[in-house]
Amino acid sequence: MKRALLAGLLLVALLAPASASAHPLGNFSINHLVAVSVSRDRVDLRYVLDQAEIPTFQERGLARDAVLDRKRAEVRRGLHLIVDGSEVRLAQGAGALSSPPGQGGLPLTRVELPLRAAVHARHRVEVRDDTFPDRVGWKAIVAHPGQGTAVRSTAPSGDPTDGLRHYPQDKLASPLAQRTARLAVAPGDGTLNAPKAPGGPTTTNRSGDGLTGLFEDAAAGRGALILLLLAAFGWGAVHALSPGHGKTMVAAYLVGTRGTARHALGLGATVTITHTLGVFALGAVALLLAQYVLPEDLYPWLSLASALLVLGIGATVLRKRLRARRGHSHHHHHHHHEDGLSKKGIVAMGASAGLLPCPSALVVLLAALAQHQVPLGLGLIVVFSLGLATTLTGLGLVVVYAQRLTAKLRVPGRVVGVLPALSSLAIVAIGIVMTAKALPQVA
Amino acid sequence: MRAGGVLRRALALSPNDPDALVGAGTLALARHDFAAGLRYGDAARRAAPQLVRPLGVIVDAQVELGRYREATRTLNRMVDLKPNLASYARVSYFRELHGDLGGALEAMRYAVSAGGGTPENVAYVQTLLGNLELALGHRAAARFAYGQALAGLPRYVPATVGLARVEAAERNYGPAIRRLRTAVGRLPLPEYVVALGETELAAGRTAAARRDLALVGAEERLLQANGVNTDVDLALFEANHGDPARGVALARRAWAAAPSVRSADALGWALTRAGNPAAGLRWAKRSLRLGSADPAFLYHAGMAARATGRTALSQRWLRRALARNPRFSPLYAPRAWAALR
Repeated sequence: MKRALLAGLLLVALLAPASASAHPLGNFSINHLVAVSVSRDRVDLRYVLDQAEIPTFQERGLARDAVLDRKRAEVRRGLHLIVDGSEVRLAQGAGALSSPPGQGGLPLTRVELPLRAAVHARHRVEVRDDTFPDRVGWKAIVAHPGQGTAVRSTAPSGDPTDGLRHYPQDKLASPLAQRTARLAVAPGDGTLNAPKAPGGPTTTNRSGDGLTGLFEDAAAGRGALILLLLAAFGWGAVHALSPGHGKTMVAAYLVGTRGTARHALGLGATVTITHTLGVFALGAVALLLAQYVLPEDLYPWLSLASALLVLGIGATVLRKRLRARRGHSHHHHHHHHEDGLSKKGIVAMGASAGLLPCPSALVVLLAALAQHQVPLGLGLIVVFSLGLATTLTGLGLVVVYAQRLTAKLRVPGRVVGVLPALSSLAIVAIGIVMTAKALPQVA
Repeated sequence: MRAGGVLRRALALSPNDPDALVGAGTLALARHDFAAGLRYGDAARRAAPQLVRPLGVIVDAQVELGRYREATRTLNRMVDLKPNLASYARVSYFRELHGDLGGALEAMRYAVSAGGGTPENVAYVQTLLGNLELALGHRAAARFAYGQALAGLPRYVPATVGLARVEAAERNYGPAIRRLRTAVGRLPLPEYVVALGETELAAGRTAAARRDLALVGAEERLLQANGVNTDVDLALFEANHGDPARGVALARRAWAAAPSVRSADALGWALTRAGNPAAGLRWAKRSLRLGSADPAFLYHAGMAARATGRTALSQRWLRRALARNPRFSPLYAPRAWAALR
């Protein structure tokens, strides 16, 4: 008791052991990490605990099940998930406990515990790890991309410890003490915007999409530019086939208006231009409002605008069709070029297909800006949009020619006559569905 | 060595960087390599004679190496250059080692009022002040000092342990044990674990004590695995609760590395417990050569003298051990009283 100034020295010796130690704070430490990923319909967490020799020794004599139960209880008490402002209960999965060998012939305790909450996070997810409040150790939260979401995280995406298996050995600085993480959530396709290392610069990860990775390769000088542009084009073309890019809508529109090849091409051009402009505009807005609004927050509004536009177009086409049917019910011709919706309708239709930029395209642009690769980013967006438009135009042409084929085949007149009205109904239905999906996100 | 690797690299890049040298010195002290600590401290002083921090490393190393006269000179220079928390706290410890508890108390009060540094530093010297008050038998003042430390830094473990020691001195063993258990749950330093075990022994909870004290054995193994095998605390632990012969071996190594009065005390007590009180008495005398009033030193010396049949000497030391604080330890103070009867 009387070693006044040297009282702390033994502590230091145990905290910063002389030989290479597995643990950042030595044999006393209780280290834990929470990995979080937010998907459209759930939040997944994985709690990893790495307990050093001394706390493990303090629990000797307890059965393994009892130790695991204690850790479960500590996690139940201390790990909090707050979704859109209210705390959500976490369901614990089957946990696993192991005892890897430590120093001095003493074992360690390692626990991995999956947790899940079946919630639809609309805006904000907060993770707070209050487990083992008084014990020294490495405390980390890492974010992983989820499914169907675009997430911006304060917690890093990288974990230098590989799940608490080894620790940075070269740091005199205090170990990581990240106990809270805030994640802004919006609908998306599995993107995660997070610092790579704690406090480091922000980068973007994705779960399913490959364009960002391609971009990063190019930025790192790993791919030829031509190849990259080709890839962007191909990516856009394929991307147009994934749900939510208005193929059905475009086809239905062309059928409904008895469009021609010229209309289909016009549609393609409009999609390219509006999509490019949409990405640029959103990128600019995002940069301007970066301090106030998350770009992800703009998506719901764009979705809504796009949905209402589709709904309006559907209604217009339907009205024209109905009027035309009333006026020409005894005709069985299919050459209604006088329908005249063409120019304005085509532009509106193309705009609604292109107005909502694909999140992946926006990610590419923002990544390009972040990495000072602006011309490359802009070029990629244009090519990506071209690819998108090619697919849509191709689809339109197929529809147009299929229609002509139908005409030549002399399909019973009534069917052909009803088809345009049905397709305009389909557009209205799509518009309603889109609006219904967009509204709750805005709210 | 983790931190040492970084420092070695820093030193390889700039061998005369005073910060790196002070860091390396502090780390060497933590590893109980006091000679290396002194070398780094001296090198840092040569690199930056105007800096005060190297002097702190040098004083600590000199005190542990038993070079008390040189330590006096270094410490005087340190106080002259910068009369702050760090220098006053060292002055206080130095006076305490020489048996001047009143002077130690005064210096520690200066250290507290000098303040500065991190909240931990302030809480640390407030706790040390509490320890001194308790050593003088001032339980209310000690409790106040610990309370001050906890007001600035709630959950500060050393102050929590201090409060438990006050409670143990008042024979409130239940609350003391609960408090120590909390402290050990947060920071299981061997010193705190031993305090818990000894309070449990005093309260008659032998099984719990044995269980808790086993943790110190595990920590000893870990320290050894980390290259620290000279610790005085662990030598005393082995002498009191483990294998006294092992305690002797640990204490001999401690003395070889750091010939301080603390090492002499540990070696003497281990020898006495191992059945060689004559040798124990010689080392006990060496531990008291500065005139230290540490009740543990005096208790060890008194019991060694008693075992060799030198009753008068034994009684003098035991009375001095109990003079300031008749309840200096829940376990050993009653034994000292029993030996006096």
